[in-house]
Amino acid sequence: MNDMSPQERQLVEHLSDMNEDDALALARRMLLDEGADPLRVLALCRNAMDIVGKRFEQGEYFLPELVLAGEMLETIGAIARPLIVHAPGEAPAKLGKVLIGTVHGDLHDIGKNIVSFMLDINGFEVRDIGIDVPAQTFIDEIRAFRPDVVGLSGFLTLAFDSMKETINAFDAAGLRGDFKVVIGGGQIDETVRAYTGADAFGTNAVDAVNLCRQWMG
Amino acid sequence: MSTRFDIEVIGERINPGFKSTQALFDTSDIAGIQALAVRQAEAGASCLNVNVGARAMTDHAFLTDVIRAIQEVVSLPLSFDVPDVATHERCLEIYDPRKAGGVRSILNSITEHRWDAMRLYRDCPFRVIVMASERVEDGLARNNKTAADIASTAKRAALRLRDAYGVPLDEIFIDLSVSAVVADTEGLSRATLDAVRLIGSDPELKGLHLMGGLSNIGQQLPAKAADGSDLKHQLENAFLTLAVPHGFDTVLGTPWRSYEWLPEGNYVLEAYRFFLGQTGSHALRAVRRFYRS
Repeated sequence: MNDMSPQERQLVEHLSDMNEDDALALARRMLLDEGADPLRVLALCRNAMDIVGKRFEQGEYFLPELVLAGEMLETIGAIARPLIVHAPGEAPAKLGKVLIGTVHGDLHDIGKNIVSFMLDINGFEVRDIGIDVPAQTFIDEIRAFRPDVVGLSGFLTLAFDSMKETINAFDAAGLRGDFKVVIGGGQIDETVRAYTGADAFGTNAVDAVNLCRQWMG
Repeated sequence: MSTRFDIEVIGERINPGFKSTQALFDTSDIAGIQALAVRQAEAGASCLNVNVGARAMTDHAFLTDVIRAIQEVVSLPLSFDVPDVATHERCLEIYDPRKAGGVRSILNSITEHRWDAMRLYRDCPFRVIVMASERVEDGLARNNKTAADIASTAKRAALRLRDAYGVPLDEIFIDLSVSAVVADTEGLSRATLDAVRLIGSDPELKGLHLMGGLSNIGQQLPAKAADGSDLKHQLENAFLTLAVPHGFDTVLGTPWRSYEWLPEGNYVLEAYRFFLGQTGSHALRAVRRFYRS
């Protein structure tokens, strides 16, 4: 995005520098007082999120910045979206569908919730089916939702077995080839990925977004 | 003047979550694992936790070798963090208490919902860690998110272990799962500290150990706090400074990290106190204070 006005550049800077109050005030003013194109404002927000994501990967930002920036994007989106009604064209297409849940036997949800949130604000259609999810429930939800990616989350060591069982069940149901499977959680690594038979693993929300983007690209 | 906490440390390093340990497992470097056990023992650990990751289930020979090799070089009891009951049963068979001064091993861990491993108790008694972070309600496992739920789960489980199995209270450890501050927008850290107070002051539970792993607390945060100190370590100390006076007596941690009281006015302690009063996105902003002045 090289063709930004000084005001637009300012908005991207406030967002990516985490000046929450200034960013929200400026976005409100642009959208509500100055009649800025809501699609354009949302594009600026995504641009800012990309900067935040890069700073996160470079170790300059951490999870709080990632989530707070996401919340700014949500707040601005809530103001912008009703204004799009009059704009021509249909709703912007989602990048792809992701089904996510914490596997059977594990009740941890914090990491999963952050991944769901980050995928959602990055343009994916996310269906989060909660915690302690049996393999059969995953299968029922997959048949109904037809996801491009299935994310299995787990924090405990016992989750490794549940992940393996769940992925085996996808196989047995003849579904395994229909989508990619990514596993995630604090203790997940390449050994666990190989053990469970998943396509990839991630240890944070940016990993998850990048993997889904690669697969949808 | 030494300001170290008077607490027991269960050494956490034999766990593939530590990259250097993963490398030892990847190369089946038994001598390296023994050296890690000795280093923890020499640094003052009272027990060593053993977690070999997913390999525990697929490679029983390796698990056996690891446990025997550790017991060859240290005389400390072991704690087993393994993925299923069958693997735990195997650990109990291999573990030789005579090499640990007759002290029982520790099962890490059960919950009200995952209680199956207790069927092994009568044949081969062990000490036990109970995770108080979840309870059973109407037959379903549920997360505990309030101090009252955590404390009542802990009490119910401890009394059940004592009355139904004869486990002495001082052989029961309540794991209070110390949350990562970075993602704690629901006041879980506050709930944990309040639960320590509730359980620690219950006369019926005298002798019960209150413990937790501290490695999560500073997860995904930068190395340095805004005052230049080691943020992760200071967060561990901040938690302990608030929890130890109320009965928190055991850490699953790294024995050579010196866990020390933080004085009033310490930057991270004050930022932690402020953080404990926040929820939602205010909590995230409070977390930023730890590393941004």
